[in-house]
Amino acid sequence: MAFQWFTILFGWASFFLFVVLAAYKIHRIATLPLNLRWEVYPVPHETGDKHLYGGSYMEEVDWVKKPRPSSPLAEWAEMGSEIFFLKRVREHNPYHIWPLSLALHWGLYLLILWMGLLAASVFVPALTLLTMAVGISAFVLGACGAVGLIVLRATDRSLALYTTPIDFFNLVFLAAIFGLGLVSWWGDPLFSLHHAYVKSLLFFRPTPLSPAVVSLFLLLQAFAIYMPCSKLIHYLMKHFTFHEILWNDEFKVKGSSKDKQIDRQLSSLATWAGPHIAPGKTWREQVRGPSAGEAQKK
Amino acid sequence: MSKKPIRFRDVAGPGNDPLVSLDAQTLLKLAPLEEEPVLRAPRASWLERYDFSLDGFSDFDLPKPKTSEEQERFVQAFLSGLEKLFDPQNNWTFLKALKLSLDYCLHCQTCSEACHVYLASGKQEIYRPTFRSEVLRRIYQRHFTAPGRWLGSFVGADIELNFETVWRLLEMSYRCNLCRRCAMVCPVGIDNALLAREIRKLFSQELGIAPAELFRKGSRKHLEAGSSTGMTPAGFRDSIESIEEIIAEKTGRKIKVPVDKKGAAVLLIHNAGEFLSWPENPAAFSILFDAADVDYTLSSDLLGYDAVNYGVWFDDLELGRVALRHVEIARKLGVKKIVVGECGHAHKALCVVADRVLPGDLSLSEVPRESCLPLLRDIVQSGVLRLDPKRNDFPVTLHDSCNVVRLMGIVRPQREILQAVCAQPLREMTPHGVWNYCCGGGGGFAIMDTLNFSEWRNTVSVRMKVKQVLDVFRDVLDPGTRKYVVAACSNCKGAMRGAIAHYGLKEKFGIGYGGLADLIVNAMSDLPRPYIEWDQER
Repeated sequence: MAFQWFTILFGWASFFLFVVLAAYKIHRIATLPLNLRWEVYPVPHETGDKHLYGGSYMEEVDWVKKPRPSSPLAEWAEMGSEIFFLKRVREHNPYHIWPLSLALHWGLYLLILWMGLLAASVFVPALTLLTMAVGISAFVLGACGAVGLIVLRATDRSLALYTTPIDFFNLVFLAAIFGLGLVSWWGDPLFSLHHAYVKSLLFFRPTPLSPAVVSLFLLLQAFAIYMPCSKLIHYLMKHFTFHEILWNDEFKVKGSSKDKQIDRQLSSLATWAGPHIAPGKTWREQVRGPSAGEAQKK
Repeated sequence: MSKKPIRFRDVAGPGNDPLVSLDAQTLLKLAPLEEEPVLRAPRASWLERYDFSLDGFSDFDLPKPKTSEEQERFVQAFLSGLEKLFDPQNNWTFLKALKLSLDYCLHCQTCSEACHVYLASGKQEIYRPTFRSEVLRRIYQRHFTAPGRWLGSFVGADIELNFETVWRLLEMSYRCNLCRRCAMVCPVGIDNALLAREIRKLFSQELGIAPAELFRKGSRKHLEAGSSTGMTPAGFRDSIESIEEIIAEKTGRKIKVPVDKKGAAVLLIHNAGEFLSWPENPAAFSILFDAADVDYTLSSDLLGYDAVNYGVWFDDLELGRVALRHVEIARKLGVKKIVVGECGHAHKALCVVADRVLPGDLSLSEVPRESCLPLLRDIVQSGVLRLDPKRNDFPVTLHDSCNVVRLMGIVRPQREILQAVCAQPLREMTPHGVWNYCCGGGGGFAIMDTLNFSEWRNTVSVRMKVKQVLDVFRDVLDPGTRKYVVAACSNCKGAMRGAIAHYGLKEKFGIGYGGLADLIVNAMSDLPRPYIEWDQER
């Protein structure tokens, strides 16, 4: 009974830890200073055919005075094609990663959907069949993707050189989850025990489970805690890399919030030791100087 | 180039021999060229004094450290700089992009074949966009992160940090043109070119080490003498006189080039290298602006006549300093906006990157900065010029400057101009536009000529562009047919000039190059004779 209570409490703890750790990671990046503009075209929020050929508002004379139509929806559509189809990997990766990576990603997406369906089917029994189909698909795709990537990364020298033990650990972790999913499904083809566990989780009612089902959920929950601490959380960071840097084409307007933020950042001390950098001065002062004489004195 | 498999630990290996050696047989093939200049080993006298331990090439004529103490000081200074790179005060400018790129690369290598240097070298590992980033990442992890300290090689923190590692990392940061084509294809948005620039920045801002052409003879000279070319305000005024003479001689028109005209609508800033190497380009601007009655001025103020901003390649403080002075000059003159001439990196520095290192009253909203290309397009399309495309009846291709297309999204204006002023359809390279390949001179390479660096540039970094040019003209390679590569960027022109001379493209295939404004003026039917002189060095 104590172990059954543990599986319930660990389940909730892992969920909250995931949320807290992911929020912490996001907060740490979000609160870093405002980056200089560093966009790369095509920027998808450009309207008309500009986002197709990579044009920008800077193709116009006097663009500061003109309206600059922008389509946030187009940004999300571009991001969607990346999330759901791994567009850039498909078009540009020369190492045959795409089908395996796509399988792994869809394995994860379906795994999340499967868990949602397990919870939903507690209240809507008609979802049982769909839950089965989604679950089986998730485990098969995920297992194929993870195992395939382990083999590819171990055998292709261009990938192996850069793949560290922790990268393999991450893939093995994922392969274990999906593999256990298949094993647990083999012993429980209708996912009845999985369903029972989720029900016990939702209603805090301990219930006996098979070792395979318990192992699957414990591993999943451990993964939920581990993931935000690893680079597997890269999907959340895409908001920053794309929306805040590569697609951020916003110019500075005097008095705007960005202008005020830059003003604060210019008050930071620049303590670099280069001969052209005067000691003890802020960025604002450094950019104003130093004169040739000052630099030479140093 | 040798194909001996490289391991990361080799980067810390003894520095007597280069990590890799160039081998012409494995380089990207340039089909119509039957032979090319033989690669030479560095001079023996250089080998004694300077470090060539990456690939046998270098732009750094810094004496090798003589003692282990000197080496240790160098390593410690590097570590001190690395710490500052991750400090929100010292590196607020790029910390967010740096952290994201260093922490979240998945090593999928999707970026590899986006890199022209990697492809041109015959896929040499050390030139792969992720290689130098990975060296930096592993050093950082080992010295500054808890997982790196505790788990070591399990998380990849396994590179020994010694003088050789640091020196090779410095050299590797100058094997990337900063074209950022790799960033376009990354599924996570990782920017390996940014990491190359961050490494350069660390060396410049902490150790004062950067290629002499960019730093001592570049941004320092720019800030102190007024131009990286060494041109003083008096020298600039002399140049303007000779520009007026060129205009009179070539067109028969007496045009007074406006200088320091208060309250003009536009402050036009050229790359000062144009006045010395390609004076017909600023002259062409004056002819066009005069014909279109543009209310503009040039500036003779210190820095006001040289748009370059080399800091954009290696140093944020130098970037800010130069940009600040450019914008202050515009303020002083009371112009409505700055227009940047045909210089790609100056476009990006002044119109985009430097905006957020300037105080509020110099924001883009207050002192707009624009590319010359939309203005030239509007002039051409306005009908004020009498244009006869038949005057440009020769094969033309367009080299896109990375800074203008990929990094600013200015793609169509230059094509619309060429459509209006050329008799033959534009021959687009494959790929082109935002997907173009760098000329090989980007990131400062076009002007880096110390020791044997230019040999590496001409052999490796410009190689893909040479291939593209040869491919696009493959049906008209007869040297009797004159061909024109449009390069609306001074550094791209410099790289093209070097490539044409190195491979003999002019003699063998009749391939020349030049600016865009020059080509527009060449199409003006009310000029007595062609503006472009093919016999000149171009």
